[in-house]
This record gives sequence, structure tokens and C-alpha cells, in this order.
Amino acid sequence: MKVINTLAFALITLSIQAQEGKINRVEIQTSAVCEMCKDRIEYDLAFEKGIKFADLNLENKILTVEYKTGKTSVETIKKRIAKIGYTADEIHRIPISYENLPACCKDGAHDDEGHHEEQH
Amino acid sequence: MNHIHFFRRFMTANLLLIHTFSFAQEQVSGKVEDINHKPLVGATVQILGTTEGTVTNTDGIFSILIEKDDKLVLSFVGYQNDTIAPVFGQTKHYKLIESNIQLGDIVVEAESSSLDEFDAKHTELILESELLKAACCNLSESFETNASVDVSFSDAVSGAKVIRLLGLDGRYVQINRENIPLVRGLSGRYGLGFIPGTWIQSIDLGKGAGTVVNGYESMVGQINLEFKKPENSEKLYVNAYANSFGRFELNTNFATDLNEKWSTVLLAHGDYFDFELDRNDDGFMDLPRSRQINIFNKYKYQGDKFVSQIGYNVLRDEKAGGQNGFDFGSDHLSSEFYGFSNNTTRIEVFGKTGLLFPHKPYKGWGLIYSGSYQKIESGFGRRLYEGEETTFYGNLIFQNIIGNSFHQYKTGASILYDDFDEVFQNSSFNRQEIVPGAYFEYSYLPGEQFSLTAGSRVDYHNLFGTYFTPRIHARYQIKPGVNVRLSGGRGYRTPNAITENIPFLISSREFIVQEELEPEVSWNTGGSLATFVKIGQKKVNLVFDYFYTYFENQMVVDQDASSDAIFISNLNGDSYAHSFQLESSYDITERLKAKAAYKYYDVRTTLAGELRRVPYISRDRLFFNLEYATKFEKWKADATVQWFGRKRLPNTSDKPEIFQQDGFSPDFVLVNAQISRGFRWGNIYLGSENLLNFKQDNPIIDAENPFGENFDASIVWGPVPGRLVYVGLRYKIKRQ
Repeated sequence: MKVINTLAFALITLSIQAQEGKINRVEIQTSAVCEMCKDRIEYDLAFEKGIKFADLNLENKILTVEYKTGKTSVETIKKRIAKIGYTADEIHRIPISYENLPACCKDGAHDDEGHHEEQH
Repeated sequence: MNHIHFFRRFMTANLLLIHTFSFAQEQVSGKVEDINHKPLVGATVQILGTTEGTVTNTDGIFSILIEKDDKLVLSFVGYQNDTIAPVFGQTKHYKLIESNIQLGDIVVEAESSSLDEFDAKHTELILESELLKAACCNLSESFETNASVDVSFSDAVSGAKVIRLLGLDGRYVQINRENIPLVRGLSGRYGLGFIPGTWIQSIDLGKGAGTVVNGYESMVGQINLEFKKPENSEKLYVNAYANSFGRFELNTNFATDLNEKWSTVLLAHGDYFDFELDRNDDGFMDLPRSRQINIFNKYKYQGDKFVSQIGYNVLRDEKAGGQNGFDFGSDHLSSEFYGFSNNTTRIEVFGKTGLLFPHKPYKGWGLIYSGSYQKIESGFGRRLYEGEETTFYGNLIFQNIIGNSFHQYKTGASILYDDFDEVFQNSSFNRQEIVPGAYFEYSYLPGEQFSLTAGSRVDYHNLFGTYFTPRIHARYQIKPGVNVRLSGGRGYRTPNAITENIPFLISSREFIVQEELEPEVSWNTGGSLATFVKIGQKKVNLVFDYFYTYFENQMVVDQDASSDAIFISNLNGDSYAHSFQLESSYDITERLKAKAAYKYYDVRTTLAGELRRVPYISRDRLFFNLEYATKFEKWKADATVQWFGRKRLPNTSDKPEIFQQDGFSPDFVLVNAQISRGFRWGNIYLGSENLLNFKQDNPIIDAENPFGENFDASIVWGPVPGRLVYVGLRYKIKRQ
């Protein structure tokens, strides 16, 4: 049974991928923290091949992406997010990209709501 | 009497009020900046739950009187509001986060051109995204998508575009680069072509008399250019451009931090055009061959106690036009062709130093200085001109508050040294101007409801005596988003008879300066109403403005008296300009924005005892602009349509009948359009100027006999070259 299930799943996946230009929708859990992160991710993905729509919900940090299945894959999208500096589901963010993010986009930057009294 | 009495009582009451307040209140100050430590100028600082407030100064600094427990709301267009509990006794830095922004570059959702809401002066802010709509090439063309400034060809040969504001020549507009007077003196006419569009970060366009701090020369307006900054410009920015006429252009900007305190920006521009473009087959090039190398380099030091900038600009620009066959380096006197040439070499060194008081952010000293040398060699057929100008300018400014930040002032002293050596047709003219001056400008800034700036300056001109320049600007907010402004003031400038009338030299007209020219002096008064009406949920922004300029003296150019000569003299009679403009902007959808404007000009001057309409000006003009952009400007398109009403043309009735022109030009329409596709690294663009290919028929009178007595290339009212198509690429590497 298990083998059949796996096979069926693989077949479905393949058939979806074979349908060029079909628009798929996926939700990805990210490590974004602020409005700036939202813009950073949405801006970058707007120029990524095959992506039609990207919107990050800051409350649960879930990114909704619509993409053309023939042009890109969930894997590629997650890797791109990691490259921007954010963890995307199981793909861990690229450390150097994270380091280059502005201070307000880093972990814990908004914990104390103290960003407006940051010292110079 | 009653009025004065009331005024006194009112003032006394006001003073008492401030006095009583100051018992309970304490001064607090701070600096508002963005996440990259860039100061936010003009950010609103309001006491929470009240309508009292102030705005940040040019360094992003505010100071305000508040009670112990008051909270302050910081807000700025395009940024998220923030509420803070200020700390007394120290100047904290407060960061605002941009609301709809991508990567510290272009604010996508903010309007690209809008009226500064709280400035007492009528000032339009033109941001880079607006400037990008006109891909080519220099400052004059940057205004082609702006309703307030008119751009047109000056003649049929030189290819130069000139600007007009409030119906008057661009020479009455003071052009500054970061508050250093720039396009003036001998380069007043062609200087706009020496400022590449890609060097400019933003433009402040002020209508009416400007601030006295920058001198007496802003007679009808002030254009302040902010160049790309050492501290926050892209690390690398390349703009490559080519057009269907065969012109190439390359702009390369670099910016980098040298260490913690020093940063630098290097802007390099080159353009090249070497074709005989003669689309109307009149034997004359529609545009001159041209080539330019232009380098600008600036260094900035940012310390705790002072900020300093120093830089230089080196330029070489060559133009060779006229009859087909005339080339770079051709000799005017021996050439068989009627030639036009204009070669400019310019070197400028400039700097600024500001002394800050870290615990008194409202207080500061500033020194602005520049020194320049320029040499212009020109030829118009057999007529030759050579001019040299050496200029030094220094301005020492002190700013402080009186009691609290509601009352601010700027005061200082300036010196201008300007030395001219000109040779025209073997006669030489020398002039040396030395003008020391002092000024005081007071600003009353009690908050969003009202602002007032009143200033005056006194200058002593070694040739023309004392100049007294009073200026006043006031703004009153009827309700949020609805502001009335009034302004008035006087301005002066010294005319340059030859370089400012170059178009008329490209003709067989004899050039006659009838008398010693006196300085041009004008009074400008006017006002505006910025308001909005609601259509459903959406706002239509409306700006009405009216300005009246009256000349006490003017350099009057009479092209009507005879078609064999051009007469230049002082004003003898009235000369004025009425200008009215109605501009509306409306966001049809979030992505599609529309702008429309109507302008009316009545510009008259006394020519040979008769008050006449000034030629080449459309009484009526319409302007439409439509802009569409997808999210993050991945795709962007815009189109500008302009209608120009008929223009009066100079009298040609004394010419042989075949060379006579109608008294008025026809009206005509010009369309510019552009589309661009964005990428992570920049964008590519494709566009067209004069898409409908409208051309003035026979712009040159008797082009077949340029050395004959009827030749005249100065009667130009419309575009000479036709449709232009261009492509280009902008590549950017952002700063970390």
C-alpha cells in the first residue's frame, strides 16, 4: 500500500509539473519579522522568474506565492528566500545574507518595541 | 489706527501666552532619521492629542516645548508614524521606517512629484522616479514631464533647449546645486545642458521669489538640485542611452564610504553625436554635432561636531552645427559653410562646512563657497564671440531659535566676485562685479496650521549701488490637505547681452546694444491654493496658483522693429507677466495615475514705446500625463501630451514677401512616451520624444543664402527635429 501511495503521489507530482504554465499556489513559513522584511521578500520575488504573486502575512509570517509550474518550483522559491536572508520552511537562511540585513530585520529587533529609542 | 491697536494687543497676548507656557514646559530636541541614519527633513513632530507641533530642519533635527508627560508623534510622507516619549536633556535619534519601500532606493508608493505641504514657500518636490520619466539627457529635459516649467528649443541651429517659469525666461530662475548658485553668468543660457539628469537625486522647484539666504537672483523662482549623495547613493549606477538620431550617452556614478566618517561620490558623463541630421532638407543640421565630457566628484566628512563637503566639477562641451559640412574645428571665417559652434570649458571647486552644536540641534554655523572659471568660444557664421568668467562665491550662515523652535532665524553675510572678459566681433567688454551682502530671515513655525518666513537682504554692488531685497512667504492651513500661500519679493540680476541672446545671433540681423545695460529688477507677488475634492473614496488634488511679475528694469530685446537688426536696451515703460496655473492629479487606481494642467500666460513688455505681447509664448497651454506601474515598477509606462496655443511671432513685414511669416504660429501638440521593464539589477527603457513627429515647417528663413541679408534661424516656435526614439539601460549595484 505504502509503495502504491508513494508511486501515486510521484505520478501526480509529475503530471502537475508536466502541465506547462499552470499556476500553483503555495504557502511558505518564513522568518520575516517586520514591514521591511515583507517588502524585501516581495520585491525580490516580483523579479524572480515564474512568480506571479507574492504576499507575506506579517502576523503568522506565512508567505503566499503563486507561480507558474513549468517555470519554477517550490524548491527554487525557498532557496531564493534563503538567499534573501530568511528561513523558508525547511530551508535554512544563508548566514551571509542574514548578516547583511538591516538591524530591524534581524531576530529580536522588535522584541522590546524599542526600535524608536535606539541609540545612535 | 484700530488695526495697529488690535495687532499690538494680539501680540502682547501672544507673548504672555508663550511666557506662561514656558513655566510649565521644557525644551526637548531630537533627530529624526531613516534606518540608514539619513536625516528626514520636514518630518512632522506633533504633541500627542493636540494640534501643536513643529517640523524637523534640514538636518532632520527638531526642538519643541512640551510638558513632562507629553508624547510626540513623528510622521513623514512614505514612513510609518511613531509615537515617542522624549528624553529631556539629550538629543536622541529616532528612526522612522519606510512604509512602502523597497531596499532604500525609490519610494514606490509616494507621489513622485508633489507640493511640500508645510513649507511657507510654494515648493514642488520632484523625486528621482519623476526624473526617470524623461530618460534623456540633462536638466532642461528633466522638466518635460512637469507642468510648471516650459521647455522649448531656442533656435533652429544650436539644439539648445531653454526653460520658462511663470511665462518668463529661465534666466530669472535661480538655479542652485545644494544651495550654491550654479547656472548663471555666461552659462546662464546653455548651463542646463551641463547637468546630466542621472546626477540629480531630487529637485525642489519654488515658484515666486525665493529665500534671501541664497542671494538676490531668484526673481521668479528657485530650482534647487540635490545631486547624488556620497553617503547614500548606489555603489555603482550606469545609464547607457542611444537614440535614433545617432546620439550616445554614458553616465557612470560611483559612491562609497572611505571610512567611518568620509564618503565620496564620483559622477561621470560623456555624450557623443556626430551626424549631419537634416530631416527637413534645408541644408542645415537640425541639431549640432556635439560631444561632452563632464566629471563631478565630491567628498563628505560627517563628524559629531561638524560636517564638511568638498568637491569639483570639470566640463568640456563642444558643439558644431549650421550648414551641412561644418564640423568640429572648422574655421568660421574661411569655411564655405555657415557654421555654428559653441565650445565651453568649465572648472569649479566648491565646498560646504557646517558647525553643529550637539546639545543645541537648532543652532548651527554654515559656510558655503565656490570658485569657478569658464571659457566660452562661439561662432555664428562670420561672427565670433569669446567670453571668460571667473567667479567666487562665499556665504556664511548662522541659524538659531528665539526662545523656542517656533521662532527660528537664519542670518549671515555673503560675497560675490564675478569677472567677465568678452570679445565680440573684435570689440571687447570687461566687467568686474564685487557684491558683499548681508541678510536676515525669520521663520515663525508654530505647527501645521501656519508658517511664515520673512527675510530681507542688503547688498552693495560695486557698479550698480545698493540692492535692497525684501521677501515674504506665508502659509495658512484651512484644514489638513488644504493650504493657502502668499508670497512677495524683489529680485535683481545683471544681464549678459551677448550670451543671453545667442539665438538672435544665428541670423543676418545686426546686433545692436543701444545703451549701457542696467541690472534687471523685478517684483514678484502671488499665491496659491492647494486643495482636494473627493470623488467617491478617492482624492483629486488641485493646485491653483497665480503670480504677477513686474519689472522695474529689464533687458529688452526688440526683434520687431526691423528684421535686419536686433535691438537690446533697458526697459522704457511697463513690462510684466501674469501667470495662472491649475493643476490636478488623480490616482485612477493604485497603479494608474493621471495629472492634468492648464496654464495661462499674459506676458507683455514695452517695445519702441508700445506695450506688446512677448513673442514665442503660448497664452494657453494644456498638459496631461498618465503613468502606469505594476508592483515594484517591474513594468512602468508613462505618456505626456501637451498642447501649445498659438504664439506671437516677431514682425517680418519688412522682408521680401516670400520670406514673410505669419504674425502667429499655429497651435500644436507634442507627445512623449516611455516604457520600462525593471529587474533586480536595474531596468531597460524604450521611449519616444515628439511621438507624433510634429515639426515646424521651414524654421530657417532663406536657408539657401545664409550669408545673405534675409537669413534668420531665430524665429523658432516649435520642434525642429522630428520624432526621436531612444533605448537605454540602467544598471545599479546597491549600497549595503
